Order: sequence, then C-alpha cells, then structure tokens
Amino acid sequence: MRRPRFRSLAGGAAGIAAGVIGGVVLTSASTAGPTPVAAAPALIDATHVPPVLTARGEPIRLRFGLVCAPREDGLPCDGSGTVFVRAGQTGPFQQYPLRRGDESKDGRYFFDVPAAVAGSPDGFSYYAVLRDDATGAAVSIPSGGADAPQVSRPLLDPVTVELGNYSFGDPRPPNGRAAQASWGSGPEEVGLAGSRELGFSGPSSFDVEPDGAVDLLDSVNGRIERWNHAYHEDIPLGRTADLADVAAEPDGSFDVLDAHDTLRRYGADGSERWVQKLADRTWAKLDRGAEVLQEPSEQWMPAAENGAPLTRAEQRRAAHTAHHAVLVDRVSDGELRLAQLRGNAPVRSWRITSATPLGEVQLAEPVGNDVVVVTRAYTDDRDEFVVLVLGDHGVAERFSVASDSWTETAPLARFRLAHGGLYRLRTTPAGAFVDRFELEVPQ
Amino acid sequence: MRAFVAMLGIGLTLSAVSGAQAYHRFWANCNYDAATFMTTMTRDAAQDYANAARYEGYQWGGGCWNYDDVDSYPNDPPEQTGTHGEGGDCSGLTFKTWRESTDGSRDGRYYWRALRNVHGPYTAADFRAGYGAPNHTVAKSTAGVMDAFASSTHIGMVFVRSLYGGDQIVEAKCEACGTNIFYRTYRSDSAYGGVGRWGWTG
Repeated sequence: MRRPRFRSLAGGAAGIAAGVIGGVVLTSASTAGPTPVAAAPALIDATHVPPVLTARGEPIRLRFGLVCAPREDGLPCDGSGTVFVRAGQTGPFQQYPLRRGDESKDGRYFFDVPAAVAGSPDGFSYYAVLRDDATGAAVSIPSGGADAPQVSRPLLDPVTVELGNYSFGDPRPPNGRAAQASWGSGPEEVGLAGSRELGFSGPSSFDVEPDGAVDLLDSVNGRIERWNHAYHEDIPLGRTADLADVAAEPDGSFDVLDAHDTLRRYGADGSERWVQKLADRTWAKLDRGAEVLQEPSEQWMPAAENGAPLTRAEQRRAAHTAHHAVLVDRVSDGELRLAQLRGNAPVRSWRITSATPLGEVQLAEPVGNDVVVVTRAYTDDRDEFVVLVLGDHGVAERFSVASDSWTETAPLARFRLAHGGLYRLRTTPAGAFVDRFELEVPQ
Repeated sequence: MRAFVAMLGIGLTLSAVSGAQAYHRFWANCNYDAATFMTTMTRDAAQDYANAARYEGYQWGGGCWNYDDVDSYPNDPPEQTGTHGEGGDCSGLTFKTWRESTDGSRDGRYYWRALRNVHGPYTAADFRAGYGAPNHTVAKSTAGVMDAFASSTHIGMVFVRSLYGGDQIVEAKCEACGTNIFYRTYRSDSAYGGVGRWGWTG
C-alpha cells in the first residue's frame, strides 16, 4: 500500500470540507421551503346539497355556499351567483340571480324555485355559477354545468315506511364467514397500522365478485387478498393505499381510489394499467365500472370507459345522479327518500321516516324485484346499521347489523351486495372479517 | 484531485446525515405575531380559512402553513412534534379555524394567519369534552357547517353535509393523507361526539 502524500491528504481534507459546506448549503436551500410568504391563493369552491327527490307541493329553496381565498380582514367572500333552471331535462335554461343571505350555516346564497318549475311532473334540472367578485374567479356546481346539470325529480305516490324509534342491541348474526385474516404481513394476514393515539387503520375496503370470490384491499401491505372459496392468493399492488376504496371489475382487473383522489386500475396480476385524477375534489364511494360518487357535484361520474380512463372534463360531462337506477336523497336526519328508475323515469319510490336519526346510506341497490338499502341509525353514543329490503308494499325484510369496527375504512365501503347476499367488512383486535348475510329476496 | 472528489462525496453524505437528523425547519418560515382580535366570525369565512389549508400537509402538534398547495415535508414519522413540518394537526387546524385564544378562559375571536405557528391548548379529546370557554358539545344530528366531530384521537370540521347522509369533512388527517376535505361518516359513528364553537356571527 502506497503511503499517502501531503498533497493527497490536503486534497482529501479540502474535499470533505467542500462536501460538507456544499451539502449544508443545499440542505438549507431545500429546507427553506418553497414559499416563505403566505400569499393568498386564487382558489374558489362551492357547496350545495341538491334536492334530488321532492315531495308534491314542497317549496324548493336551492342553497349554495361559496368558498374563496381567506381575506385579510377575516370576512367571508364578496360573492354573487347565477342559477340556471329549467322544467324537465331538456330545453333552454332560465337564469336567475342568487340572493345573498345573512346566515351561512346552510349556504349563504339561495334561490326559491318557482312553483311552476318545482311542480313540473318531470321535475327540473339546474346548475349554478358562483363568483368571487373580488377576483372574478367563478365556479360551476355541479362541475359539468349545462352538460350535466343536477336533476330533481318528484316523488310519485311514494310508499311510506315508518321506522319509529330504533331499538339498539339486537343485531342479526351473519349466516357465514366469507373471508378472515389475522393481523400481520404474511399470507392470509392483513396489515394493521397506527397507534392508540392516532387510531388504527387496516383493510379499508373490499369487493365480492359475482362468483362469490372476496377481494380485500390490504391497504397497509399494499395488496389485494383474494379468497376464491378454498383458494387464496395475494396480489401485490406496489404501494400502500390508506383509506382507499376498491372495486373488482368483470375482466379480473381492480380499481383502487386513494385518499389523494387518484384512481388506479390494476391488472389481475397487480400490474398498474393506468392512473387518473378525479374531476371533483372529494369522493364518497367507488363502484364497478369506475363509477365514483363525487363532491361537491354530488353526482356519480364514470372515471373510465371501455377500459380506458376518462379525462376530468369527460368525467364531468358524463355525470349523473342515479346509480344502479336508484336515486338516494337523505333529506334530513329523520327522512330518507329513494326512487327506482326505469330508463329516465321513476317507477317506484319510498319515503322512509325515523324518530331516531339516520346517518349515511352505505348501499342502495336493486336485487330481483326489490331494492336493498343499508343505512345507519345513530344517537350521540350508539349506532347500528339498518338493512331494509324495499318492495312494492313497503319493507319486505328488515334487520340490524352491528356497526363497530376496530379500524377505520373508506367511508361507504362496509357493505357489498353480490352473489345473492349482503357482505360486511368488520375488524376486531384479532383481525379482519368479511361476513355474509342471506337475504330473503327472490333472485 | 481524485482524493478531493472522493472526499467531496463523503462530505456530501455526512452533510445529508446531519440534515436528516436536524429535521426540517419549515417552522423557520413561521412567525409568532399576535393574533388579530375580531368582532365577527362567520361560518363561510371559516370555510375559506380551512379550505385554504388543504394540501398544505400535516404536522403532529403543528399549526403553521403557507398557501402553495404543497406539503413541503410529507411523510414524516408520525406523532413527533420535532419534525417541524408544514401543516397543522387536527386540533391545531380546528383551533386556528375557530379563531380561538391560547387562553382557554377567553371566548373572543382571534384571527391567526396561516404562517403564525400556533397549535392552541386543546387536544382532540379536549374538544370532544367541550373544554375551553369558546367550545361546547352539540347533538350530532344538529351539527352543521363548521361544527365538528371529535373522538379521543381526532377532530374534523363539517365542511358541508352530503346527499347520501355523510359529511364532507375538512381535517388534518394524517402524515400520509395530509389536510384535505374528505367524505366521512363521523356523524353516525359512536366513537365521535358533536362539538361546536360559540360566537358565530353569520
């Protein structure tokens, strides 16, 4: 080994010094953050809860919220807006200015739909454009505007269902277990993350294929776990999927919608086929066919067609309100309205009232000649899922399902209807389970 | 020269190690200005404020962000205040959006600008219990825009209710998911209670 010369030692020392100094300078530059000042963003958003199903003679007030960049003086937007309304679903829109109220709890901007329009037998359709008058920025709601307006339909002779005071504590046990996994990262295990302080997250969604195969989104381990009767396989996705939703497509591929509003389609082997952002800012549920319930539009938007992703503009233009030919309108804590469509016309509707508050509708889909609805009854300290099978004459079947779960899931991902049964995802300190409840519904 | 180049690489590596250990210092961009006392506080102005914090990240124990729609330091190790990243945590975002005082006995309205680094005295569990002069519990079925749902570990504010009965919630959720508006079912989840802020003026 050659003895180091003074010149080499000096060069090496200079190199270390230059490297450390250079590194510190680079680190300082990168850690200074991209924007040291809180410049006001040019942003605008809107909120609106559409009256999708209206009762005869009911006055209709459309309310909108306008969200702008925060002002230095802490006051709300200096805004205005226009609503475009028409009777039915074709023809030109009439435009009206939105009025600005003193209260913003239900939306500061409002418009009372003329009785002749609200009472139209075909309902009415509308969209609104809201503006920040300080910047000129504008937003349309729903985001498809005139191409995909919000549609409101009348409830025609609805079947009335009175649930009364809900009785907690008598949930129905499942008829069977379709899949189970203990916590872990090995085969037939499912990942658990989080802590007592942060809360725990685990499998965030699942789907059931028509043949009864169960696909569990193992969000923490970044894979699909598939149980096809006695056969089990892990399908790696190459990334974690915290609080994501999943849908299994008929060709064996999977759609995964993540918390950053990105939809990914994977092949049956887990290889990524394409990635697409959603049109709107928030999603509630992913269903087969890459259909996504999106907000603030409050419409179902297809994110793909014929196996290829749709652009955000295409998603907006293809937006619609009915899903599985069923319209859902959770009008208030005490009332839920549903209608089943044939083509574009309602054929049956139900008006469900409850003395106990009703929360979210997890699922509303036709099965045979009936419609299955899963909603949640709640008080300030108790909650249980309520399953209703709705037929021509009211409730054909009703039962309760325990709602407790040890980990958080995607919001409307606790139930799937398939293979003639209702499936529920549930977690406990021991692991994750998919249980099956048989329905007394002729297929 | 070869020795210089080799040692330059080692030096850069050493500097990177020290940088990682020091953590991020986004807080170097933040300030400690006094809050502005306000006589008004509307729910839609609170929506404006919380909405502008979207995409700015999540920081355990934090309460400082800019408005560039980017989390400057994503995916820090969770539950560590010392990472000094961008964004609030759930209770910090709520505290600032609700214009609260660091003195829990005061119920006035204090406007904290985005880069003012303040978390406030309340945890999610404190909010859930209605601790602090400005806060109170509400029946969940009555919770409206910019009221909140809190559990022992988390709090999120109602941005607006939704058609299918859930809520669009604005919240600083976690390091991986950041601050955003998400659809949640906290309203019907018995782990969560309803929380409100006194003093809305419209």
